[in-house]
Amino acid sequence: MSEFSDWFKSSFKECYCERGNLVDEKRFSEIIQLVLDNEADEESRAIFEEKIRTCVKSNGNYEREKCVQESIKQKLCEHKQEIPEDLAKTIKKSIGL
Amino acid sequence: MSEEAVNKENQGTQRQKYSEKEAARVFDQEFMPHVNSMYNFAYRLTFDEDDAKDLVQDTYLKAFRFINSFEQGTNAKAWLFRILKNSFINEFRKKSKQPAKVDYNEVESYYNSDDIDESITTDLRVETVQHMIGDEITLAMNSIPVDFRTVIILSDLEGFTYEEMSKILDIPIGTVRSRLHRARNMLKEKLSSYAKEMGYNK
Repeated sequence: MSEFSDWFKSSFKECYCERGNLVDEKRFSEIIQLVLDNEADEESRAIFEEKIRTCVKSNGNYEREKCVQESIKQKLCEHKQEIPEDLAKTIKKSIGL
Repeated sequence: MSEEAVNKENQGTQRQKYSEKEAARVFDQEFMPHVNSMYNFAYRLTFDEDDAKDLVQDTYLKAFRFINSFEQGTNAKAWLFRILKNSFINEFRKKSKQPAKVDYNEVESYYNSDDIDESITTDLRVETVQHMIGDEITLAMNSIPVDFRTVIILSDLEGFTYEEMSKILDIPIGTVRSRLHRARNMLKEKLSSYAKEMGYNK
């Protein structure tokens, strides 16, 4: 059982109405984040995957969130600051290595 | 960061006794490979090349000074990031040139309140993000409060797990999860507003 098992179960339940339709998209986006960040345990992930296979709205939200997050991540990673050439050398010199 | 603080964060790990040669090897092989990530993190906190450089140098000096608190084979990168983050908060931010300081507790309680959820944008389109260049996304990220920006950097740029982030930032793992979610929503909101201004959504 992971840190978020209980949180996942109660949050997941609150996302859906009795008929199983997604009614709380904001809460669901928190669940999506947990899954995308690989922080959901196996059981939670299985429940999640089963739902996105059978619920079009849940699947749509998941795919959109996944693409947006990946695009942002990719662009941020591409945009890294140039490292000062002498930084490593200066550090080593300052401690006498 | 004081020796006491460094020792506190290594509670549960045995204090090492490295010889001079071993210390140099640990420093070189376990700490130095992270210098680029450390500089990027420092730059994204300070927005200034010289300040970032000073912050990284200061972090490495502390890491060497307290190297006996580091246990080989444990997560050197997380250990260094934690020292850097503490240096930034405790020393650097105090003397920083940045005029306005954000009270993190105020921001977090604001974003934790139920009311804010109503105004958070969650409909940012993939195409909108794809139209943007790295500069635009970086500018949007730089405009969100530093404590929220930090969790995005640690998670999305540096690939730390929630547990590692919890240790680096000294906050419960549940707070990492909720803060990261709010941070990403803040970023999406900024990007969405920017896209509207620039007409990317047409």
